Amino acid sequence: MEKVEHDTTEHLNRGRRRFLTAATTVVGVGIVGTVAVPMVASLEPTAAEEAAAATTFNLAPVEPGMQVTIPWQKKPVIIVNRTPEMLATLKEVEAKGVLKDPDCNVPQQPPYCKNMYRARQPEWLVMVRICNHLCCIPHYRPKKASVTPSWLGGFHCPCHGSMYDLSGRVMKGSPAPHNMAVPEYEFSKDGKTVTITKMYPKAHLC
Amino acid sequence: MIRRALSKVASALVFSAALALPVHAETVRSYPFTKAAAIAGARFFADHCSACHAVSSLRYNRLAQDLGMSEAAIKQQIMLPGGANYLKGMRPAMTQGQAKKWLGMPPPNLSHLGRALGSRFLFTYLTSFYWDPERPSGWNNHVFPNVAMPDVLAPWGGVYTKDGKLLKPGSEPRRVYLQQVADVVAFLRYASDPSVFERRALGRYVIGAFLVLAILAYLLKKDYWRDIWSGSRTTDKPSVGTEGSRTGRG
Amino acid sequence: MSKFGDWFNARFPAREMMREHLTEYYAPKNFNILYYTGSLLLLMIVLQLISGFLLMAHYVPTSQDAFNSVQGIMYDTKWGWLIRYMHVDGVSLIFALLYLHMGRGLLYGSYRSPRELLWIIGYLIYIMMMGEAFFGYVLPFGNLSYWAGQVITSIIHAIPLIGPALTTLARGGPGVGTATLERFLALHAVLWFLIIAALIALHILALHQVGSNNPDGIEIKDHKGPDGVPLDGIPFHPYYTVKDVFGVAVWLMVFAAIIFYAPTMHGVFLEKTTFFRANPMVSLPDVTPPWYLAPYYAMLRAVPNKYVGIVLMAAAIVLPFFLPWLDRCRVRSSRYRPVYRIMIIVMAVTFFTLAWVGEQPPLPKYFLIERLGAVIYIGFYVLLPIVSTFEPVRPVPERVRS
Repeated sequence: MEKVEHDTTEHLNRGRRRFLTAATTVVGVGIVGTVAVPMVASLEPTAAEEAAAATTFNLAPVEPGMQVTIPWQKKPVIIVNRTPEMLATLKEVEAKGVLKDPDCNVPQQPPYCKNMYRARQPEWLVMVRICNHLCCIPHYRPKKASVTPSWLGGFHCPCHGSMYDLSGRVMKGSPAPHNMAVPEYEFSKDGKTVTITKMYPKAHLC
Repeated sequence: MIRRALSKVASALVFSAALALPVHAETVRSYPFTKAAAIAGARFFADHCSACHAVSSLRYNRLAQDLGMSEAAIKQQIMLPGGANYLKGMRPAMTQGQAKKWLGMPPPNLSHLGRALGSRFLFTYLTSFYWDPERPSGWNNHVFPNVAMPDVLAPWGGVYTKDGKLLKPGSEPRRVYLQQVADVVAFLRYASDPSVFERRALGRYVIGAFLVLAILAYLLKKDYWRDIWSGSRTTDKPSVGTEGSRTGRG
Repeated sequence: MSKFGDWFNARFPAREMMREHLTEYYAPKNFNILYYTGSLLLLMIVLQLISGFLLMAHYVPTSQDAFNSVQGIMYDTKWGWLIRYMHVDGVSLIFALLYLHMGRGLLYGSYRSPRELLWIIGYLIYIMMMGEAFFGYVLPFGNLSYWAGQVITSIIHAIPLIGPALTTLARGGPGVGTATLERFLALHAVLWFLIIAALIALHILALHQVGSNNPDGIEIKDHKGPDGVPLDGIPFHPYYTVKDVFGVAVWLMVFAAIIFYAPTMHGVFLEKTTFFRANPMVSLPDVTPPWYLAPYYAMLRAVPNKYVGIVLMAAAIVLPFFLPWLDRCRVRSSRYRPVYRIMIIVMAVTFFTLAWVGEQPPLPKYFLIERLGAVIYIGFYVLLPIVSTFEPVRPVPERVRS
């Protein structure tokens, strides 16, 4: 009789032991995994890094039709003050149907720039001047017929010939897959300065 | 320059023990260190201290995150007009050059002072000013002799002589005044240890998780060790061990 | 077993190692709470390695930027406070565990034959840890770090003949500066740490060669069963591994409580003066070492002569190496040696009194305590050979008590 009881308790014990081993393992692994998250997160860019990323630029010297390219986070950012004539070319290009992504459906720009100007204010273009193909810096060619006879103004990449319009939208037949990237930025209240805060995380550079 | 000021404060720390006892019986211990106190202190600090003092290590956006304030509130209540950057450290209104011209040396950066000197000292220091006509600023301090800083808080707390006589009453009742001082001290304590509220909120969950693990591990250990107490181990050598030897450690 | 297991084992002795060090390593069954310290020390050192690596990813070893980079970890790095407090509080907890671990060795005579080498390697780890802690202490370059660096490197100066050259070598210049920080970082994170890690491996190998002692101080190998297994021994795995998992969980509760609620331990684990930037022009009023080194510092101060003080301190550090030969009693554990037990209690009280007094400002009123403490500390080692030869012993049982 005693022997039978011993067997059943042993059987019960084995199940209990298996359960406890599994439970301890699951909790232990869970804790290690949870602790690993902040450990890895500590290697992300620091607040100092993020603060250094924000660059403020004074717009006053950039007169209509002028452009300026400033270094930002080791990348060239072009700021163009577009004239009404230049803005009119955007519609013309659209009408020709030569753009790969005229409505900017690929998130190459923050949501507030998802329009044909690819900007917060139509005249001001703020864009990372890096060709989407293989990271070259496209030439700025605002004059009509300066690249091809039918050229309306835009960007032309010297490396592999990718062509963009004056909003940085890529044209069909270019090796570059997407429009040029627009960073996140904001204008000061009086509109005299622009602060480029950070790269738009979904945008693809090259 | 800042170093010199800091070291002066440090030496004052040592002498404070030997000097006259603080004039006031109240200590900072009567005022709980809470987020609300730190927020009130931050507002008061922005209005009355950050004209001269920087808290360069503490960024405005970090302040907003830690204390649960909105960006708009920080910009409106804490940041000084002109020059301050939301992503950068708290800066004084005064430039280094102006400070040198007006005060002889720039007032210390208060980033780490809350920890280096401790809340008790800061509270006593801020409430231990007295009127001393012999000093160029007109101010002296019981725990920091020949201090350069004037008693900025005097309009609320009143002006006292060295032996504690009231020269000019302050605008606030003593209780309110001391609460204000405690708030500023709370802000400085937070500023020198900005993770303090986050830590306090998180700690119980971390300890709780380890407690769960400890309880499970204890039950598991007891289960295994029943073999030892029943004396069955020595007779059947590895059989009890093999079961767990593959799964036991996880 | 599995095919892969066989393939692997034919090329690497994984199963043999597992058997030798875990499933067929027989440990006495009467371990008490002090026997958690070994596994906890191993855990803490691994945690120091992880947190140290993450800190180093942000640290700048120049006299100009070191302080700011460490404060940057506290203010600007995501979870930076967690990794720094883990590292800082980890040091104090490691030393607390080391003292418990060594105290256990004293209590149960674990340094006695055949475990002399085990004791010596272990004590060497402790001495290396003091160096590791010191290098790490200088790196944040607060004012206390700076002055600690100055004071300790000037102690080396007192070594006859080579002292001055050695001091310059340690500092890499006329004073503690960028060059010092760079070489201290290299030592702290690379060479010194690797030596400690190697010594830990040797310590464990030596332990598994001679087997663990136990609170009764009885050799379990003297009583083996017909299968050759000690009658009072149990396989380390699973019995002590599950027990250690429990110990680790409880210990991490303590560790978390400190990190989250008292990370500076009111200035004991992280001193207030480390929050001032290093300043060569202002010597801080209380340049005291961290608590775990304070007993030696107190002995250094006890003598009003630089060289004698340093010799006394060096003697205090070196003497425990000779413990296995100073103790001549035929019984190991203090459980059966009432006089020896009293000596250990007096010694422990003295050691922590010296730690306390070493933290106090250098005032004459403490001289008596410092000197008395130094005399008792040295006296322990002087008296031990005599006392242990003549001391009365209680009857020792044949088998361990459980």
